[in-house]
Amino acid sequence: MANLTFAYLKDPVLRNVDFTLKQGAVGLLGPNGSGKTTLLRCLLGQVPLKQRQVEVLGLDMAQQARLARSGLGWMPESGGLIPGMSGVALVAYLGQLSGMPQRDAMQRAHEVLHFVGLADERYRKCDDYSQGMKQRLKLAQALVHDPAWLFLDEPTSGLDPRGRVSILELIRDLAWNKGLGVILSTHLLADVETVCKEILVLRNGELLARETVSSAGHDPLQVFEVEGFGPESEFRAGLAALGAEVTEDKRLWLVRLDMQKLVGADAGDAEVPFPAAAGVSAILKVASDTGYSLRRVRRRPVSLADEFYKMVEA
Amino acid sequence: MPVYDRGYTHWEPSGERSYPAWWVIARRGITEPLRSRWLLTLVIASWIPALVKGTIIYFTIRAGDLLDVLAGGWTSIDAAGFLAFLEGQRFPVFALLAIVGAGLIASDRRDNGLSLYFSRPLGLRSYVGGKAAIIIFYYFMVTLFPTLALCLFSYLIAPEAGGVDLLLLIPLRALVFCTLMGLSVSLVLLAFSSLGKRSIFVMVWWTILVMGTETVQLIAKGLGNSSLQALNFLGNYHNAGALLFGAAQRLDVSSWVSLAVVLFLTAAAVVVLRRRIRPVEVVS
Repeated sequence: MANLTFAYLKDPVLRNVDFTLKQGAVGLLGPNGSGKTTLLRCLLGQVPLKQRQVEVLGLDMAQQARLARSGLGWMPESGGLIPGMSGVALVAYLGQLSGMPQRDAMQRAHEVLHFVGLADERYRKCDDYSQGMKQRLKLAQALVHDPAWLFLDEPTSGLDPRGRVSILELIRDLAWNKGLGVILSTHLLADVETVCKEILVLRNGELLARETVSSAGHDPLQVFEVEGFGPESEFRAGLAALGAEVTEDKRLWLVRLDMQKLVGADAGDAEVPFPAAAGVSAILKVASDTGYSLRRVRRRPVSLADEFYKMVEA
Repeated sequence: MPVYDRGYTHWEPSGERSYPAWWVIARRGITEPLRSRWLLTLVIASWIPALVKGTIIYFTIRAGDLLDVLAGGWTSIDAAGFLAFLEGQRFPVFALLAIVGAGLIASDRRDNGLSLYFSRPLGLRSYVGGKAAIIIFYYFMVTLFPTLALCLFSYLIAPEAGGVDLLLLIPLRALVFCTLMGLSVSLVLLAFSSLGKRSIFVMVWWTILVMGTETVQLIAKGLGNSSLQALNFLGNYHNAGALLFGAAQRLDVSSWVSLAVVLFLTAAAVVVLRRRIRPVEVVS
């Protein structure tokens, strides 16, 4: 996607969005109305685009969207089912519309319905399905033609916790074990943490950040929670000598350490996170030198939610 | 390995032929309504005029032209007689198309189905083509097919009366007329269907278009106003069809005027369909 600015009417919904994705699981995060669904529609070529703005599977979506869509699966958030049809008939029908021969489509419909756990309900009319079953059916129709990329728009919307976990497991399996590319659009951060290796954060149509999900250990500035008693001023002075910033949070000291200084420039790259043990050892040494008795030291866990809200609210 | 043990597997194409998207849409749209008994009954009932005409033709040939005179030319086996027959099928055409066609796009819009269709490798032409083929099929069921059956029947009982006309020219004219009319009517009905999200509202508008304009035309005729006669929606098709069948005008306006009206309606329907059928609903 190259510097895409898109507007349905007057005001742009997407502004200068620019990224390239390789196969894998990518989370599309953003508050409601940030342009996530529109971004997916652009990737599907469902909206008018200018030439060379969006390329999917090497094809220009302004001109070759139909061709590209045979390699894409789309699971819409709302609707997306044709009332009156049974689960298997619907999936086979959409398989045929994707260019599959009639017999292949029917056989494949049975297979994907087994995979998503709807084998026993496949002959029931989809109008009678529960919300969880409908979500599974939508996933099945997106998979029937064996796409290279799956675009999932709020796939866990309206599901109970068990249903949510189960559909996320299916998606994770597809992305991690079956080699499918997945773009998961959601505002549920836990879903992204479960499935994705990378996230794109959108706010007001702008691509705010692109991060790897497990980036907590890669940030050179890390916070350690310290609890103890003893000569506080000496302990703080010792930490300051390490270059640490110390703040107080209720009964805890929050020690912000620059891990780059502590362990050297090689660590913390894309593959190797900064070792938490190095920070803990440094704090233990200062405590030992200053006679400060420690009750607890640990690296403060950084959740995706913290990062997300920090980015969106910035 | 049983399918439930395999998990997700990639598709291995069998190499069989796949059908174009419009045909897949049309086949489903044609077969699905036929499961309804009362729709099937309506289709069968719409053949009653053809049976009546066939019976009268039989007796006319056997018992002179008394019955033909009583039927006002409707039973004659020349081209004009068959155009009159097609015109007489207005009500079954109206009713059947309302039932089959009203929800074709409206339901997809209501259920967010357009987004689903256009996430597949198909374009607007395939989608509209498939939907139009459904309407054309049911239109043929009550117009073209009975006409062809009557032509054959008439030829079989009186080969000397119609000759090559009954075997070739009239069926050909009927085929061309029904194809063009079916195409135009289907586009207009689909355009109406694309304007709403509920079939019932589309049916109401369709009724106003077909029955309402015919009522206006009849009132205008009673008042001696000929210009308003061009408002008759289905009447214009048959009036324009008089050019093809070499028959007398069906309305008090020129057949060419009716043809212009038909072309205008078809073009307007195409414009509406291009504007309304989108995978994304934009609300201003």
